[in-house]
Amino acid sequence: MKMLIGLVVPDSGSIFVDGASVRIADPVAAASLGIGMVHQHFSLVEALTVWENVALGDSGRLSQTGVRNAVGELSERYGLRIDPDARVADLPVGLRQRVEILKCLRREPDILIFDEPTSVLTPEESEDLFHSLRGVVEQEGRSVALVSHKLTEMLEVTDRVTIMRNGLVVDRYMTADADAGMLARAMVGRDVRLRSTEVSEAIPDMHAGDDGATPGVDGPVLEFRKIEVREPGGSMELDDLTFSLKPGEILGLAGVEGNGQRVIADLLSGLRRPSSGEILVDGVEVDVSQAGAALRAGIAVIPEDRHDSGIVLEMSVAENLMLSDQSGMATRGIINGAALAVAASDLIDRFSIMCTGPDALMWTLSGGNQQRVVLAREITADPAVLVAAQPTRGLDVGAIEYMTDQLRRVARSGVGILLISSELDEILELADRIVVVFMGQVTGEMARSEANREKIGRLMGGDLL
Amino acid sequence: MGGLISVVWDVASTDSAYTAAARFAVVLAFAATGEWVAERAGTLNISVEAMILAGAFAAAMGYHTTGSVAVGLACGTVAGAMVASVQAEMSHRLTADQFVVGLTLNILVLGVVGFLGSEWEPSTRTASVVEIPLLVDVPLVGPALFGQPWPFYLIYLVVPLCAWLVHRTRWGLEVRSVGENPQAADVSGIDVNRRRRQSIYLGGLTAGLGGGYLLLGQVGRFDPGIVAGRGFIALVAVIFGGWTLRGAIFGCLLFGSVLSFRLTLPGLGYELNNEMLSSLPALVTIVAMALFAHAVRQPEALARPFIRGLK
Amino acid sequence: MSAQPTAERGARSRLMEVVLLYAGCALGALVISGLIVEAVGADWSTVGGALLNGSVLKPGRWGGTIGVTIPLAMVAIGTIISTKVGLVNIGQEGQLLVGAAFATYFSTRVPGPGPFVLIVVLAAGVVGGALWSGLAGGLRYWRKVPEVLTTLLLVSVASNLVGYGLKHHWLLLDAEAKLGNRNLVSEQLPPDTRLPRITMWGNDFPISAVLAVCLVLLVGWMLSRTLWGYRLTVVGHNRKVARRFGISESAQGMIAMLASGGFAGLAGAFMLTGGDFANYRMVSGFSVSIGWVGLLVALVANNRALAVIPMAFVFASLRTGSGFLASTGIERRVTDVVQGLIVLALLLPPAIMFIGERRRALAAARSRV
Repeated sequence: MKMLIGLVVPDSGSIFVDGASVRIADPVAAASLGIGMVHQHFSLVEALTVWENVALGDSGRLSQTGVRNAVGELSERYGLRIDPDARVADLPVGLRQRVEILKCLRREPDILIFDEPTSVLTPEESEDLFHSLRGVVEQEGRSVALVSHKLTEMLEVTDRVTIMRNGLVVDRYMTADADAGMLARAMVGRDVRLRSTEVSEAIPDMHAGDDGATPGVDGPVLEFRKIEVREPGGSMELDDLTFSLKPGEILGLAGVEGNGQRVIADLLSGLRRPSSGEILVDGVEVDVSQAGAALRAGIAVIPEDRHDSGIVLEMSVAENLMLSDQSGMATRGIINGAALAVAASDLIDRFSIMCTGPDALMWTLSGGNQQRVVLAREITADPAVLVAAQPTRGLDVGAIEYMTDQLRRVARSGVGILLISSELDEILELADRIVVVFMGQVTGEMARSEANREKIGRLMGGDLL
Repeated sequence: MGGLISVVWDVASTDSAYTAAARFAVVLAFAATGEWVAERAGTLNISVEAMILAGAFAAAMGYHTTGSVAVGLACGTVAGAMVASVQAEMSHRLTADQFVVGLTLNILVLGVVGFLGSEWEPSTRTASVVEIPLLVDVPLVGPALFGQPWPFYLIYLVVPLCAWLVHRTRWGLEVRSVGENPQAADVSGIDVNRRRRQSIYLGGLTAGLGGGYLLLGQVGRFDPGIVAGRGFIALVAVIFGGWTLRGAIFGCLLFGSVLSFRLTLPGLGYELNNEMLSSLPALVTIVAMALFAHAVRQPEALARPFIRGLK
Repeated sequence: MSAQPTAERGARSRLMEVVLLYAGCALGALVISGLIVEAVGADWSTVGGALLNGSVLKPGRWGGTIGVTIPLAMVAIGTIISTKVGLVNIGQEGQLLVGAAFATYFSTRVPGPGPFVLIVVLAAGVVGGALWSGLAGGLRYWRKVPEVLTTLLLVSVASNLVGYGLKHHWLLLDAEAKLGNRNLVSEQLPPDTRLPRITMWGNDFPISAVLAVCLVLLVGWMLSRTLWGYRLTVVGHNRKVARRFGISESAQGMIAMLASGGFAGLAGAFMLTGGDFANYRMVSGFSVSIGWVGLLVALVANNRALAVIPMAFVFASLRTGSGFLASTGIERRVTDVVQGLIVLALLLPPAIMFIGERRRALAAARSRV
């Protein structure tokens, strides 16, 4: 994908556009070939206005009126309304995606690539987006490539599917001939338990029966009481948020990305402080604004962005593993190197982390193995609560299976798990209970057995029950 | 307190105070304008001091050799850009730390210029004063702004030109985006480090010109200590101005006035504390930043190197 | 089994690469310096010879070079601490000055036996330097003012402050000195509060040399082997991770900043009590750029404690060697040029190696996917 827009240049092989072999050395070359891309993480400059962002990456003289007119015309044509003079920083996520799409469409691309576009949208907004895309394909004759790991999305909106695994194309189907099972098998290379809608909706509450720790017996292990968080600017990020988590339970926190999930994870990592309200662990209030207080209280976190707050890339695997138990690895302030190496090697074996040894620097590991280091450290810290924020993002189907198995195992051992995910399927598969957030507020709470996609989808869009 | 007010009043009603302030401020303004562009692109360029010094020395040599002020200024501008080339290529091509490179350049240029200056001993004089008719007759500020040696008036070109470049052209849009979100600029097809290098080159040009003006428009004789921290004050003026050009120029005027007190006060018969006045720009800046640093929005990626694929 | 020798050979060839790279860059700097010398009509070999004679070869010279090495090493090791935690402290020149001023102030005012006063004087130097850097650190953590700027700005404030102090008897000015005669010096240290000097093969240097080596080794060991060093490193690389795992950024940052300034202040106190600078007095312009050059030493040593000592010695040699340049008919400032070029040249290898390593890592990542 990055090759197509020129961020990565292939070592060998050729890319053909309209039948001709091309070399795409940089994003400009890609644009001139008619390839445009809407990124998963937006490529917008927040401090600039909408029209300035749309103009970014063009060439030739900069004409403010020209660009603004073009924005107006495009948003008319595709029904993507937006104010060209708004600052991107002031726009909500859904509108930012619009800017991104407009920026792309303005180049009149023949090929339009979407990278996981629905993770920031409600199911309803996703429908609208795909509707617009249909128009682009059918009326204007452009091609759209949709990169997604959501099988349902693939089956519903595409004409053809190509499946890749480990950088290789493993299979191609006409969508009409494919079903979810076939796709999943092709993605992993073997049979997997499926997380498609039919399966997850067919088996209500898969853990209630067989789990060792039955939810509902003990008091809550984690409780949010009327938590409010304000942005430095003053707008509300979390508003009167209350929920609780029981030992051995997996609580799914569903919602469209950017509705407060990140803030909740940050609170529990001790990176933010609530403006008001209380967070209780095992019934005791925890002042998360103190460095390390959340950790000491028994909250482990698998962060959404491990590079941001999960690992230190420039330090070794062993040094990253000892973060949760620093003083245990030292006597009188002096680090016990031998003991550290032994402990780290043990974890590397137990979690099958692929690396050259405990001294390997973290940035030499692949993303999946970095995630295993995080998992190993957080689970072995013997936590009361495990917060898993988008734990499977960016992993292939096999690694996802490993991760979900681990989460279930941890829950069975009595740890309360807060699963924050923007993927409804993941939540429906794993969670015992589901809380839906919208604009920093809880819009609904239900047991897994009462949940279905449509109901949660409505709550994610802000409808109250 | 009353005494202080009367001092300020006395100074404020003296013609020569304005002239002195303008002369200090305009050197700062030359340097600060280019520095502002570099900072908008994300480089906190501390080698600006070296750029001014190189500019002053090259201007002296240029004048010494040809006897022409214009050639001297041109040499100064080129020398500023030469220092910029080291800063730009090392920090935004070879990924060396920008502060380290800047600091080293400050010391290296001081050494080179000090050494060559004492070996070659260029002889120079100041350019002649050109008064702009009518405008020079405006009371108080007239002579300060329109009765100066002619290189002074170049500032009236440099500042609007840079403002136009950054705010109205595509290049400027790209420079701003590169300073705010280099990752986004990169995927939009902008060569991030190239824009950053270019902005440093621009900074070198204006700082070198400022150095040339300092020598040929004011001091008239080369000395390795001629810059005396003006580069750092210019850098600080940009920050003091909250990364807007208007604010930066205001900062230059303010610091220029403070520095001119040193010259004006003894003439008015006031005892002065030289050390206090010399420290004032630094102290004012520290206090101002302590009060406002959290409120001012700086370019998001200021002083952060960009390497594709790394955060 | 077959993989191991290849890996070893790879490591060895990589080491060769690194050595060659450094040697090449240093050579480049020397060649350019030579060209500059030739450009002004002097002969590079006589200039080089004079530098070597003045710094180590002639009798009694290397002792003096060690005397200069001491404060350079102290400033550099302090810089390494602040760099480790991710702070950019570039105000060592000012911190050194304030440290020296504090030391001077107490040197003639504290009663007691000489050795006791000496310890107080050294401690005062540490406190002075730490105070000055702590100011920048405090503004960084409580008011979010970038420390790059405050440390830099405080240099000029420090030199003005010391200039002011040297004009007033109640601060630093020698009671004997008359105001206005432009002889702005402090009272000379009494002999028993000076650092003892060691004499060895016709050279002599202050005993602080031993102390300095111990301190450099100690700090190097602490940074790599203790929890303190570990925590500094975590904060330096990822503040959010540090925060989550109970490492307070501001606490670690303040400690590092205070230590960094403390070492610069100690350098100032060593200069005052050591005897290789300004004859046991505080004078105007006392710091003679030792702060700046010490900072360069840390940069060139690429923040490795062990490299500090040889690098500091090289830079000290340039300074002491320049004393012998007068006979060659070339300005002694040429050493400033050489010094700057060497620093610039030695910045290249780490940058080039980083780019190479990245390319290798990317290639490895690609083959793994």
